[in-house]
Amino acid sequence: MSRRVVVTGYGVVSALGVGAEENAQALMRGLSGIGEVRYLPTEHHEFPVGEVKLSNEALRLQLGIPDGQPCSRTFLLGTMALREALDHAHLRNHPHLALVSGTTVGGMDVTEQHYPNPLPASEMDIHDCGASTQAMADYFGLFDYASTVSTACSSAMNAMILGKLLIETGERDIVVAGGAEALSLFHLNGFKSLMILDEQPCRPFDKQRRGLNLGEGAAFLVLEDEELAHRRGADIFAVLSGTGNACDAFHQTASSEDGEGAFQAMRKALQDAGLSPEQIDYVNAHGTGTPNNDASESAALRRVFSGKVPPVSSTKSYTGHTTSASGSIESVFCLLSMRHGFLPFQKEFENIDEQCITPLSGNECPRGEWRHLMCNSFGFGGNDSSIILSRYE
Amino acid sequence: MNKVFVVAIVKDVPAEEYNQYLPPMKSRRMGKLQRRALVTALKAMDISGIDVPNAILNGTALGCMDHTIKLLQGLHEEGEVVSMPTSFMQSTHNTVAAQIAIYTHNHGYNTTYAHRAISFECALHDAFLQMKAGRLRTALVCVNDELTDFQQAHPGYFGHIEVEDRSEAWMLSVEPGEHPLFEIENVEIIHEPGAEDRAVIHKKL
Repeated sequence: MSRRVVVTGYGVVSALGVGAEENAQALMRGLSGIGEVRYLPTEHHEFPVGEVKLSNEALRLQLGIPDGQPCSRTFLLGTMALREALDHAHLRNHPHLALVSGTTVGGMDVTEQHYPNPLPASEMDIHDCGASTQAMADYFGLFDYASTVSTACSSAMNAMILGKLLIETGERDIVVAGGAEALSLFHLNGFKSLMILDEQPCRPFDKQRRGLNLGEGAAFLVLEDEELAHRRGADIFAVLSGTGNACDAFHQTASSEDGEGAFQAMRKALQDAGLSPEQIDYVNAHGTGTPNNDASESAALRRVFSGKVPPVSSTKSYTGHTTSASGSIESVFCLLSMRHGFLPFQKEFENIDEQCITPLSGNECPRGEWRHLMCNSFGFGGNDSSIILSRYE
Repeated sequence: MNKVFVVAIVKDVPAEEYNQYLPPMKSRRMGKLQRRALVTALKAMDISGIDVPNAILNGTALGCMDHTIKLLQGLHEEGEVVSMPTSFMQSTHNTVAAQIAIYTHNHGYNTTYAHRAISFECALHDAFLQMKAGRLRTALVCVNDELTDFQQAHPGYFGHIEVEDRSEAWMLSVEPGEHPLFEIENVEIIHEPGAEDRAVIHKKL
């Protein structure tokens, strides 16, 4: 009864590069984008980060945004990814689009440079999360619906979940959904306060893992009603076949030992897609590299897949944890896996931890044709979400 | 298609009522907004008789500003040696919806919208569509924002949006129950380039 939601375009910016092609090449070659901090004005050079290798000035130049126009880095990264997604889906002249973006940092990078001194009047309206979404929408002038999700690190994935709902219920025909997040001193020092930043490149699921590396970036997926996609002759890259959102309801920042929230999110996504666990070819894990997340997620994976866990890897070993944007960035990585017929192997994995699943590692990407790929994204507050992207057939 | 009814609306719970819903021992570590938000949600659950709604959604323009400003102040005063785990943990926008779920052990759908002045309507739209489509039977939809001293002294510092210092909770159900307040017929979210986003809640009394 409900309409089928297909993916007709996508765009991504991460530490691996600008655009889907640069990101795919880096993943296939096993080249990480994590390194010493360069653009964020922080003293903490001991923590490696996954920065997008472009200054704000370079991003402005690429987007044709004059120096005098105030904007946040979240907006710049988001607009880059959004532009690619719209071009990819041939929608640059298509009005009545909906935009759903996930972010938490918003314009904090600008605010923190001034606080507590007065902000220049022109910079007073870019702090909040919704401001970055509105500004992205207005850059293109094609949107008549805009909304902003802020569930910490699962924001972008929950934006995609709303996107699917809007299309399935006939409310909208095309929703561009995803998220954007720039590094800020605020959350770098916040994560440092929680003592979950690793001073080495992060090692998800490894027995020696010490924490995460922060990253930044943006990605958007063009979600579209299948029939409309056919009518306008759009290329269809995948089906967004299942989504699940559940709350761990355990602790604001820690995950439960048995991963109940993650378990329920994955199970809901499978139910929504009408799939059984053994049909899943690969899981792009949330896999942050913190001792707690990876153990909890592993417990949940073992429960969902009854011990027969499919290949899993965390691409945060390439990009760092791109926080609010991670759900859409890693969904794009799943689309790239499908398109190029590879699975990303994990960087920095050496020591098996009995508490954890053993991720895909080594030096070579497994090759093949994949039908159903699962992507997990979890946030503070136990805001756990999971989606399934399926080959369009 | 299901109909969607609002069966309880709670706002401005007087401080002297807090103890009825939330023992002081359990809330001593919560910030002012968290405590007020939780009490408001618990009262909405209580008067509607819906203890475990299928979903908890919150709308907040700016999130938990008290803790956000504490961390900004810490960074300003101490520089990057600052260590404020509690403020960071409680500064994220989704703290409130998560807090309600943690306190009531609710594993259902949980999300937060932060879309300026129409954050609540964005949350309401999500719940409304899921209920109409039969995916949820009940949902708690809240709006929570706080106005700190800093914001009152520096209007517009965090955006030219009218932020009300308020906690409000609506309990939605596909069953009208004995005394439904009204039916929601539609929620419209409108974006026009260059203008502030608007929303309209279409009610049927």
